[in-house]
Amino acid sequence: MEKYSAAATKSTPYVMFDPAIALFVIRGESYPENAASFFSPVFDWLTEFLKHPYDRAIVFDIELIYFNSSSSKANLKLLTMLEDASKSGKDITVNWRYYADNDTAHEAGEEYKEDVPHLKFNVVEVERPK
Amino acid sequence: MLTNLYDIYRQMQQEQIFFSFTGPVSQHVVEGIGAALKLKMEIEENDVNTIQKVFSIYVEQIQNIMNYSADRLNRDKEGGDIGIGIFVVGRQDGHFYVRCGNNIYNDKLFIIKEQVEELKTMGKDDLKTLFRSRRKSPPPLGSKGAGLGFIEMAIKASRPIEVDFTALDKTTSFLSITVVI
Repeated sequence: MEKYSAAATKSTPYVMFDPAIALFVIRGESYPENAASFFSPVFDWLTEFLKHPYDRAIVFDIELIYFNSSSSKANLKLLTMLEDASKSGKDITVNWRYYADNDTAHEAGEEYKEDVPHLKFNVVEVERPK
Repeated sequence: MLTNLYDIYRQMQQEQIFFSFTGPVSQHVVEGIGAALKLKMEIEENDVNTIQKVFSIYVEQIQNIMNYSADRLNRDKEGGDIGIGIFVVGRQDGHFYVRCGNNIYNDKLFIIKEQVEELKTMGKDDLKTLFRSRRKSPPPLGSKGAGLGFIEMAIKASRPIEVDFTALDKTTSFLSITVVI
């Protein structure tokens, strides 16, 4: 399947889903004018991808420094899609990455982890890039 | 007629308002002013989590103007329209606050007043529980976002959200919302 990619803007994250190299990344800040329309093609791609067999482990690296309340809802939708796919046998792991001094992102990761109990979900502290 | 901005400028300084904006709020405005606001707070070495809270409340407030102001500017080229309003960021008794104002239809004003009254009675843990359960449900009718903005602000605020309004005519009022961080 073709990869899905979106360059980061000031208010939308970098998105790169490339099955050919087993790379699934969301990184940056998320407070678009309309979260539903930003995330809709991301969800469409993911729905299609999760329908097909995939013989490698699927690891999602999510590193969101800041997201607004409507993006927060979109994140949960994405995680719920991944949880459902896990339940039906896909090997999926999510690494929720946050910087040590970002309490909000850390707490958000812990809350999402509770919201999707059937998904392998790691909350990982990472170094802030210099 | 306003021929000189000095009086307004001086008054804002006295009130410790260090950011202000009036006009149509496009996403470019949200991003640009947000970046400048963050930069100013970073230079003054405020705690990272305080900066994040102020920024987050700023985004929820200004996007409310963009989406819900009754005063709107049509954008024929890009489609849709954007809200017109005013907002200030300032300091008061050692706390940052974000205050936003815009015209609003009275039916929407009623809904906001009710919601804010309800949130006032809740503690942080209950607010977080409400946020998480609302996040799982479909958005309320007529909401362009997720209907989560006020709960998010109440969680991050250090005092209850303040709602102030001035009736303009039978159908609209000027709404002013203050969130203290």
